[in-house]
Amino acid sequence: MIDLIRAEFLKLSSTRTALGLFIAAVIVSVGPALLVMSLFPRDLLDGEGAAAAAAATGLTVVPMLAVVFGILGMTNEYRHGTITYTYLATPRRGLVIVIKLICYALVGAVIMAVTALLVVAVIAAVAALRDIHPSWLEASAISDFETLRSIGLFLLTVGLMTAFGVGLGALFRAQIPTVAGILIWALAIEGIITVIKPKIGMYLPFVAFQQLTMGGALHVGEDGGLPSLTRPEAFLVAIAYIAVFSVAAVFISMRRDVT
Amino acid sequence: MPVIEVEDLSKRFGKKVLAVDDVSFSVAAGTITGFLGPNGAGKTTIMRMLVDLVRPTSGRVTVLGGRYRDLTHPTTRVGALLDASGFHPGRSGRNALRVVARAAGIGYDRVDSALEMVELAGAAGRAVKGYSTGMKQRLALACALLGDPEVLLLDEPANGLDPEGMKWLRGFLRAQAAEGRTVLISSHVLAEIEQTADHVLIISKGKLLARGPITQLAAGAAAVVRVRSPQAQKLEGLLLQKGAGVNRLDTALAIRGPSSAEVGELAHANDIVLHELLAEQPSLEDLFLQIAGTRRES
Repeated sequence: MIDLIRAEFLKLSSTRTALGLFIAAVIVSVGPALLVMSLFPRDLLDGEGAAAAAAATGLTVVPMLAVVFGILGMTNEYRHGTITYTYLATPRRGLVIVIKLICYALVGAVIMAVTALLVVAVIAAVAALRDIHPSWLEASAISDFETLRSIGLFLLTVGLMTAFGVGLGALFRAQIPTVAGILIWALAIEGIITVIKPKIGMYLPFVAFQQLTMGGALHVGEDGGLPSLTRPEAFLVAIAYIAVFSVAAVFISMRRDVT
Repeated sequence: MPVIEVEDLSKRFGKKVLAVDDVSFSVAAGTITGFLGPNGAGKTTIMRMLVDLVRPTSGRVTVLGGRYRDLTHPTTRVGALLDASGFHPGRSGRNALRVVARAAGIGYDRVDSALEMVELAGAAGRAVKGYSTGMKQRLALACALLGDPEVLLLDEPANGLDPEGMKWLRGFLRAQAAEGRTVLISSHVLAEIEQTADHVLIISKGKLLARGPITQLAAGAAAVVRVRSPQAQKLEGLLLQKGAGVNRLDTALAIRGPSSAEVGELAHANDIVLHELLAEQPSLEDLFLQIAGTRRES
């Protein structure tokens, strides 16, 4: 088991997939932060200024990259034919997929943690240059329990979404159709379903992942707003999706011919 | 004691394609067995079923007494070369082997020795995408050797090798046999098998057509009598009347059926001048073509 985990990390460190994820995450998160902090008027950024928090909104797009990272992790094995050697070394295919789920979840979360730190560092640097003092950048606010919990939930969500991507990749194998399909599903179809049938929409995978970090922030409930899940509910729904897709992937992989 | 046993093995892809049709054979320990057949005959499918990559539709396959998936550290018992292109193009040759070695619980020292065995140590640090087809083939062979296995399954190992590489492969296979390894090698380059294998399995359209030692199969096959005569056309007519198989090209005849003595006597009885009369033992290629029911162009 330890050998398999080490082999998986060696696979990651000997190709550029993880580095590509990191670069993409930095571009989509640091870029907007830099623009907002550099160009927005000071009074919008100072003190309780909401625009400062908006500088970090690029990070909300980043978990989607984690899903793609997970999909690539598994589909690359089929695309390059390395799955033959993977299964020759470890004929227990279910174990191969479970180990990949764990390793990719960890690596995805670590990459996002580094990206988030980089975003905060960039915001802090530009704020210092412009002599701006956003309240949420103060040490007491960052070490606040709520803030730490949000960061933890963000990383957990990223890890879960990466694992979800691995499950999808193992199930569908074809790289480009899987990535394209999941982006269309997440960015368009789920949104449409959520608007038309909100009570069904809140149980959809990417809405559930989002609710895990936002934790009922969308919930306005009986006064006419969008219904949403609490964090524990969203966590259970997310885990259920990962479990269903992973079990299906293991079940099908065990019966599938590697030709 | 057979190392590989295949019983009543069949594999169907979808409803229409019967890739392997009720095949049975065994491979004895310490032998080199050639697995012959044209492209699409079912060789690769059988090889992949031996290592659990393809699931049989029916029948049974055992390697070293059990299923591949049930072997402890299988790559240290059975080494397989199945897909020379199955390496990540961005990974170096050394790292490609290290990934497999790590997953299989094999030490990195074996990676270096396997690379040296296939004479690829000098290029081990380069990305696989820069390798020639022959180099990828050698890398795949190194991968099969990683666990120092007692059984080697080699699917078309000569693909992409230049004449020098083919010569190297023959020497390599002989060395493996000398060390007591069991080798099952598939190929459609029959000359390569003829020079290395003790036994052959001949397969076509998913069916096993023949199996046994090459010498035994060759003894049972019809020899080819080659004749050169200015009256070749007349001799051809006489031979055809007697039911022989004849191919003629100008003054040269290739005759299957009668012995060289019978051909000589027939020519003498009919006052036919012969410039050349030669009984030729069938090559493995002749043998294969005879068994597969096709004819080689003379």
